[in-house]
Amino acid sequence: MQGRILQADVERRGLVLDPRTKLLLLITMATFVLGGAGSRQMSFLPYALSLLPVILLLSARAYKAALIAAAVYILAESAFRLAGPLLSGPVYFILLGTRGILTRSLPSLMMGAYVVSTTTVSEFTAAMLRLHLSEIIIIPLSVMFRFFPTVADEFSSINAAMKMRGIALGGRHAGKIVEYRMVPLMTCSVKIGEELSAAALTRGLGGNVRRTNVCEIGFHVQDTIFAALCLLPYGALALSAAGLW
Amino acid sequence: MVELKEVSFRYENGENGTLSNLSLSIPRGQCLLLCGESGCGKTTLTRLLNGLIPHYYEGTLTGQVLVDGVEVSQTELFETARHVGSVFQNPRSQFFCVDTTSELAFGCENLGLPEAVVRTRIAQAAKEFRMEALLGRSIFNLSGGEKQKVACAGISAMEPELFVLDEPTSNLDVEAIEDLRQTLRRWKAKGKTIVIAEHRLSWLRGICDRAVYFREGQVELDISMETLLHFPPERLARLGLRGLTPTQVALPACQPVCDTIELRDFFLSYGSQMALDIPALSLPAGAAIAVIGHNGAGKSTFSRCMCGLERRFKGTVRINGTEIKRRQLLKICYMVMQDVNHQLFCETVEEEVRLGIEAEAPGAASSVLEELDLSGLAARHPMSLSGGQKQRTAIASALLAGKKILFFDEPTSGLDFRHMEQVAQRLVSLRGRETTLIITHDPELIARCCTHILHLEHGKVLDLYPLTEENIGKFRAFFYSEANKNSLQEEPAH
Amino acid sequence: MKHEKLKGKDLINVGIFTAIYFVVVFAVAMLGYIPILMVLMCILVPILGGIPFMLFLTKVKRFGMIWIMSILMGLLMLLTGMGYYALLVGLITGGLAELCYKSGGYRSGAKAILTSGIFSIWVWGNYIPFFINIEKYFSTRQEFGQAYIDAMTALMPMWMCPILLASAFAGGLIGGVAGKALLKKHFVKAGIA
Repeated sequence: MQGRILQADVERRGLVLDPRTKLLLLITMATFVLGGAGSRQMSFLPYALSLLPVILLLSARAYKAALIAAAVYILAESAFRLAGPLLSGPVYFILLGTRGILTRSLPSLMMGAYVVSTTTVSEFTAAMLRLHLSEIIIIPLSVMFRFFPTVADEFSSINAAMKMRGIALGGRHAGKIVEYRMVPLMTCSVKIGEELSAAALTRGLGGNVRRTNVCEIGFHVQDTIFAALCLLPYGALALSAAGLW
Repeated sequence: MVELKEVSFRYENGENGTLSNLSLSIPRGQCLLLCGESGCGKTTLTRLLNGLIPHYYEGTLTGQVLVDGVEVSQTELFETARHVGSVFQNPRSQFFCVDTTSELAFGCENLGLPEAVVRTRIAQAAKEFRMEALLGRSIFNLSGGEKQKVACAGISAMEPELFVLDEPTSNLDVEAIEDLRQTLRRWKAKGKTIVIAEHRLSWLRGICDRAVYFREGQVELDISMETLLHFPPERLARLGLRGLTPTQVALPACQPVCDTIELRDFFLSYGSQMALDIPALSLPAGAAIAVIGHNGAGKSTFSRCMCGLERRFKGTVRINGTEIKRRQLLKICYMVMQDVNHQLFCETVEEEVRLGIEAEAPGAASSVLEELDLSGLAARHPMSLSGGQKQRTAIASALLAGKKILFFDEPTSGLDFRHMEQVAQRLVSLRGRETTLIITHDPELIARCCTHILHLEHGKVLDLYPLTEENIGKFRAFFYSEANKNSLQEEPAH
Repeated sequence: MKHEKLKGKDLINVGIFTAIYFVVVFAVAMLGYIPILMVLMCILVPILGGIPFMLFLTKVKRFGMIWIMSILMGLLMLLTGMGYYALLVGLITGGLAELCYKSGGYRSGAKAILTSGIFSIWVWGNYIPFFINIEKYFSTRQEFGQAYIDAMTALMPMWMCPILLASAFAGGLIGGVAGKALLKKHFVKAGIA
């Protein structure tokens, strides 16, 4: 389960980037790799950008994830290049579709994995504050991140309970499997949520004063480098739109 | 400090905990104990003080609640938060942040204090609570006691005048309770006013000055703590309070055990850490075995392995000469979880208990329902039942599914005396028929229903012994050494 | 009451239900993270997500909660590397869903189902990158030849785009109906709706 989304492991932070730089990285990936923007001369760009998440994941010592992603990417790309011309019909379509989706979305997803595994909730909240987002977004957002592990825990307890009752896919009650899972999941989560609300409210959440935030974030050298790397393709895009490149 | 004038309150959805015509005044610096059976209104009173009533829990409120001269019902919650700090029952759900430092800062940040001030307050609180080592940790890796400590420190950093605690020990073990006791002493020494709703009394000796006993929303006794402490045990039991002195263990009539359940190769590791390391163990069949040990001793890993829930688990269990592997363990073992809401799926109690039965002997379901006193509830929705009824429904479903081994995970955490006794009786009724293993921190429960003790530490079996006269010392040593030590030290002062 | 400002309690509720919603969505997405099945996600996610969403609607009493939830889902998509497209779509559809539920006085059951349909369109946003820039995308990949371009266009023809949108909406409606049924069957009795 994605129980640990944005639950950064403090010891495995890797290259420390400001959350705002990370957002810029994500947006760049979404535009050029996922969205495939760019002119003909920039066809190398998705490949180059796809290296970024690998480097960042390696710096965060997520070796396994980085290597698996790189291997899958290279496999899909080379299978398409080598075997593609020899194939036709449905097999070719499947290969094509798989390769298209993988090479476009995998790098971006890996960047996402890097961001969520290296940013703590408080850093993220601090970044949102600096970006002048309203409290009405920031408060629900931080509750949400706080609540993911809880929902994931509930989910796994319910799974355990279902196993002990012999409710499983392919069993007698397969048709009701969704209902059996959703009902206790929501009942339990909502009840815990109520307790959480009560605790947060008695500690003054939602007041009319502007909240402060003690989390330290800021730009460093590495932020400048990555930000520059991100801005390059946009610059190139602008140049080519203007017909200068 | 606190003034209640003819306060009555009834929850909108008709929950228990109505208060009627309550007047009470609490002077500054007093430490007040609120006690009574669950549903008596003590939690309601704490909510009136911190403003959750009427701002979060809705209902009809009359009368006046004044804290520091300010009427709580007319004040926004975030204003009240400046003067009143609250600690709740469940350490798991009272966190807003995911790391400890942010959690300590949370309250102060909400007050809009300047960042420098917040930092000083965090450092101060950490020092005062001797928890520097806990800073910067993930909330999800803390034990229940550590969480409760962080919660208290976070409240303390906000520097309120009044502290309100609602059953803060119900999920804590002996050591964590001792920690909490130190916290209360600290607050007391600073002259803060404390109101604490609680049904375990022994740890509050020497802390509280005054005790108020509620029955059905009204004050029945308003006495000094000293007076309450001198009530004879029978009177306390009649009041539904958990004993002041550690319980005398009434030994269960111990039947000789002939059959055993053989466990082999109970190993499981998380990464490089061995969480469970039991090469072989024989458990007495049909016994009620209390599984005890400190946090992280491997109690829950043990139960998960035995129930067949750990995929990587390769051990076996032998009952009556038949060897049982992981997959079949799922069929013969069952765990009644601490939060039984996880294991109730159906629309009615009747459907619930029939779910998962392969072929049913005629009348089996109704006789089990009868036996567990659930017949009248067969058509009800399981989630609409009370905690005890839900637990009985879960037991009924396990019995009908032909489970041979039942695990209970902390079945009495958060229960008052009367409900704890009910659970104990239920467990006694299963004795001899099913093998039950009860993971618990509650010595009073063990004293009432267990025949054996399985003591785990660091994933290994430290001891397994029947609860007989000669073994009673060991049992008491585990639970009471800490508590006794402290009460002995403090006795001369009072 | 409708025009009151959102309170702390409401904001926390939004956070809690977004978390539940996202976990459900994520669990569904894990089941089908095979590229060919990706198209199916467009209808499965709204159907299953509709169940927690309908429960969420029972807590919505003030303007803005649905909209915020929609924005949060968009932000989550951005953070997990799905791009900013769902965020852009969600900004609009979330607002529309909010207005829809508001027009029913934050009570109407039929409007709630319709709201679930409109809200669910954010899912469609995740497919947009595969449709935009299509010509440009191919123009950068001339080296693969005309066969590639033909095949790619056959796999993801433009007319799929509105169909996916419609199926997300339909999925949301189905989820809404299913959610409403479960509300009646379970959650009301359990005292949480």
